[in-house]
Amino acid sequence: MTDFALDKPGKSRRPDLMAYATLSLISAFCAVPFFWVLLASLDGNAQLFLSWPREWTLNNYVRVFAEEDGARWVFNSLFVVGSATLLVMVLAGLGGYALSRTRAWWKQPFLYAILLIRVLPPTALVVPLYKILLTLNNIEGNLVRMVIGGDHARAIMRWIGFIDGYLGLILVLATMQLPLALWIMKTFFDGLPRDYEEAAVMDGATMLQRIRRVLIPLALPGLAAAGLFAFISAWGDFLLPLILLSSPELQTLPLGLFRAFLRVNTIDYGFLAALAFIYLMPAVIAFGFARRFLVQTFSGGVKG
Amino acid sequence: MINLRNVRKFYGALEVIKGVDITVEDGEFAVFVGPSGCGKSTLLRMIAGLEGIDDGDLILNGKRINDVPPDKRGIAMVFQSYALYPHMTVAENIGFSLSLKKVPVAEINRQVGEVAEILQLTDYLDRRPAALSGGQRQRVAIGRAIIKKPSLILFDEPLSNLDSALRVQMRAELQRLHRELKATVVYVTHDQVEAMTMADRIVVLNKGIVAQSGHPMDLYHSPDNEFVATFIGSPKMNILPVMLSRPEAGRLRLENADGLSISLADGDANAATGEAKLGIRPEHLKVSQDGQGDFSAEVVIVERLGVETYLAVGSPKDPIVVRAEGDLTIRPGDRVSLTVDLSACHLFDSNGRVIRRPQTN
Repeated sequence: MTDFALDKPGKSRRPDLMAYATLSLISAFCAVPFFWVLLASLDGNAQLFLSWPREWTLNNYVRVFAEEDGARWVFNSLFVVGSATLLVMVLAGLGGYALSRTRAWWKQPFLYAILLIRVLPPTALVVPLYKILLTLNNIEGNLVRMVIGGDHARAIMRWIGFIDGYLGLILVLATMQLPLALWIMKTFFDGLPRDYEEAAVMDGATMLQRIRRVLIPLALPGLAAAGLFAFISAWGDFLLPLILLSSPELQTLPLGLFRAFLRVNTIDYGFLAALAFIYLMPAVIAFGFARRFLVQTFSGGVKG
Repeated sequence: MINLRNVRKFYGALEVIKGVDITVEDGEFAVFVGPSGCGKSTLLRMIAGLEGIDDGDLILNGKRINDVPPDKRGIAMVFQSYALYPHMTVAENIGFSLSLKKVPVAEINRQVGEVAEILQLTDYLDRRPAALSGGQRQRVAIGRAIIKKPSLILFDEPLSNLDSALRVQMRAELQRLHRELKATVVYVTHDQVEAMTMADRIVVLNKGIVAQSGHPMDLYHSPDNEFVATFIGSPKMNILPVMLSRPEAGRLRLENADGLSISLADGDANAATGEAKLGIRPEHLKVSQDGQGDFSAEVVIVERLGVETYLAVGSPKDPIVVRAEGDLTIRPGDRVSLTVDLSACHLFDSNGRVIRRPQTN
């Protein structure tokens, strides 16, 4: 009996060891590219193959900002993706609340229909999407030229244009991210008892007071989760900026990275790695924030 | 004083409150009780102003308040989930209604302090609801109600989230608070024990109408109908189908298939003969094994609690429950003889309306 009892932990230790070994191997496999990027970005003479740098330098990073338009790319990416995320959070917050509280017959069909946007590969829709945006852009451009005149039209269209303008890309990116965010917020509000709002009504809160002092604070974890999902996903999008933007001053980080890779002369791995590392950081930081809210949002909502 | 006069509520074509008349006097602790779906919560929400009133009048202190918005009614409500805002401290939760009205901070703090004193929450004012026990959360919810100095406090099943030990404790606490605050309370519950222990007045609701309203003991001793008779009291009143006949003037004879045969004074002198139902509480049936009782039956279940014993006798599907003092050594399968306490018999007609109340013979 005692033998048997003592034997058992020993037996289960070996499979544990195997499991950890396998997991470590997989983790290492996944981590190597990131490690490579970090090492190469600090290497004065980076090569295609992973090697320990002989001279450590920050020169690659300096070049991104000094020789190239790195700062502008970072700004463009943050501005476009940040605006799209903000738009998604506002619309998903309001829309998710409405979808959660309504009993309209179209609620279920609508919720499944918007998921289609997410399911269909955007590549398949690129041509019609471009055509529609181009038509809108031409109409808008003519209007702008009529009202303001041709001199400043291009400068304005860079901000509000549908093609080769911030607005168009922001709207399309937000549209791509909105369905999932709506689902997250709808589910979140489903888990939020109406009692909170009714208690506020009994206390004499107006509609605006209810939203500002009760609903937004209660919905914050959900909004954060929806927003971070949208940010991370939009940040990684490459195809839409590639198609919708052409002016060099509107380039985003992934486009900068892509075009740096395509340069005719020899590939500068150190420079690419530095750029890639800069591109990685916001997503990683966002995920770090997201973790806390994700747990809160997807494992039981608000705890009173 | 709050008055409901012929109040009705429809959901589409479905009438859920079917013309209800209720009066609750100042300072009374009124309990609306009934099975789920009887309309008691809807009625409470109509009084609060969270649901509209389709017909009839709701009158608070002489003023018709059907169309007054919820926060202008002078009514506070304690929700089933308490609805404490998790992002606010206890003090902020209690003072929320005042801060919405832009009351100066110093004044809010003073009033919150007073309320916290009454509710023994002074040490917890800086905590968030998540760091409180169930009973403390309950008290915060009450604090949020009483800081508004309402003329009426509504409670929507406030004890249903607590475990049974805490529930007993909170029942006593709510009664103490009610005495101290002298507030008028309308309290909704599906638990008749809660209703019996706390209420000055019970309103029993069934399918959107008032089945009976009155003092708990009146409802217990003199129910108007079979529904109230079986709903109030635990274990519930036994209902036995009987044939009524009138062998002589002023006397009623009750007989059934089990050999029951008893004779009662026809107190109301107008009870119709024919099919009827005899209502008799478990404590008004006496067990004997000498065969001398009014009828005999086989024991199905025995529950021995020490101080008392519950027997279920007769058909296993629809047994008659008997409560006997002390510890009886009767086993399932035994035949017992039962004596009916003639002074405690209720008679109902086939529609469940009372036709004879308990009285001395």
